[in-house]
Amino acid sequence: MTAEIIVVTSGKGGVGKTTTSASLATGLAMAGKKTAVIDFDVGLRNLDLIMGCERRVVYDFVNVVHGEATLKQSLIKDKRYDNLYVLAASQTRDKDALTMEGVEKVLDGLSEEGFEYVVCDSPAGIEKGAHLAMYFADHAVVVVNPEVSSVRDSDRILGLLASKTRRAEKGESPVTQHLLLTRYNPARVAIGEMLSVKDVEEILGIEVVGVIPESENVLTASNNGIPVIVDAASQAGQAYSDTVARILGEERPLRFIDVPKKGFLQRVFGG
Amino acid sequence: MNAKAEVTDACDLRFGQVGIACVRVRRVDAAALCDELERRVRAAPQMFARAAVVLDLSHLSNLPDDGAVDALLEAVRSAGMLPVGLAYGTSETEALAKRMGLPLIAKFRAAYEPAAGSTSPAEPAPRAEAAPTVQREPILSAPPSDGMHGAQHHAGSVRSGQQVYARERDLIITGAVANGAEVIADGNIHIYGSLRGRAMAGAQGDGKARIFVSDFRAELVAIAGQYRVFEQIPGDLEGQSVQCWLEGDKLLIARL
Repeated sequence: MTAEIIVVTSGKGGVGKTTTSASLATGLAMAGKKTAVIDFDVGLRNLDLIMGCERRVVYDFVNVVHGEATLKQSLIKDKRYDNLYVLAASQTRDKDALTMEGVEKVLDGLSEEGFEYVVCDSPAGIEKGAHLAMYFADHAVVVVNPEVSSVRDSDRILGLLASKTRRAEKGESPVTQHLLLTRYNPARVAIGEMLSVKDVEEILGIEVVGVIPESENVLTASNNGIPVIVDAASQAGQAYSDTVARILGEERPLRFIDVPKKGFLQRVFGG
Repeated sequence: MNAKAEVTDACDLRFGQVGIACVRVRRVDAAALCDELERRVRAAPQMFARAAVVLDLSHLSNLPDDGAVDALLEAVRSAGMLPVGLAYGTSETEALAKRMGLPLIAKFRAAYEPAAGSTSPAEPAPRAEAAPTVQREPILSAPPSDGMHGAQHHAGSVRSGQQVYARERDLIITGAVANGAEVIADGNIHIYGSLRGRAMAGAQGDGKARIFVSDFRAELVAIAGQYRVFEQIPGDLEGQSVQCWLEGDKLLIARL
């Protein structure tokens, strides 16, 4: 059995790729899928922080690629879900330490280990690291913020997904593209300060697979090393749960995309 | 070493490919030909003044006599272009070229050979008052028939950073052209989606090329090198279906 490879990418930095990778991988594990999440951002490793396993990294992705450690030694088991594993990036190397053959070997190794999903957390940009992260993908989650520069970069990435991946080069069915809108603030959309879901869908010509509302829970969760999807009380966590369900083929309506209506007391007293 | 080479070879003989304009004569009228070419040279002097051209007589039903061909060559010269040869047609053309002391450019050899015996190799174009076309195209990719270049179709969106080029033909895009994407054609461009990036028609200098867009939000449009950039899209054009064409040096845009 081969693992489904999902790349989380965006072109632009700081839009929420790592947050999304962590929540997506955790969500898949919560749905009972054996999942690994790999940090491709060699030199600027962050995923282990958000997954809360930074003190348990002994061997990393680059070690495996270079044959200095086995896959088993390097995979870090998540403390919450025992079918979730993290492969951390190396902080002391750079992206040139990764090779196409090495990455392929690691992904094949994960398939052999019985993993059902492998989430690849891509670095920003369109250079080597990002290219390697997307090359072997079956699915792509393109993370976009509701602002023009992020949308433009996502458009570029969508073009690369259609041409610079193994599926494209071998002429197989194309990489399935999912657009995930993050840091969405309905109030600012309503007054025209942010692009709306419809604007973004129209410009990029594909539908969104989820909309994650801007929320302080995301920052708090990240700082505590907890993927926000675990926080079932938060809107962002619920929106990520919906997104994972949709990627797994379930149909769910979009939530949290309208300005919340104020309650009676709030209307009277302001708030 | 070099000195030795100089002794042995006086020169190098090399083959290469060059783009060359081809004047396809539709009727034997030296004065009209001169007028038409003069107009072309005036419109794009950098491209056509003193340009080397090949005279293609194969579209005439009968090969004109030597005097008439001389007059046609003179007409090309007086318009400011330099005729350098005849395009290959039949064996009669070959004999004619010999008498004129001009080389024969074997452009359409394959296309014409099967028509041996037939007296009129090609129908004159139905456009009665249409002037002779001046084409600037690489010799090897010239299609044998007149004007039927077909079109190149691109299904889906052209993403930021991508470029689509339709060589010597029209380009049809059924999808959007994103910001930072570029679509280029030597012929016309049709876009059945939003144009948010750049579109350049008539890339090899065809001033008659047009651009048709069903949702206009372009960064730049250009026809035959005349371009307009849109820092701000005019309100009456934004989101409308429009066409762009060239009138003289002026690039015009209007709603459809």
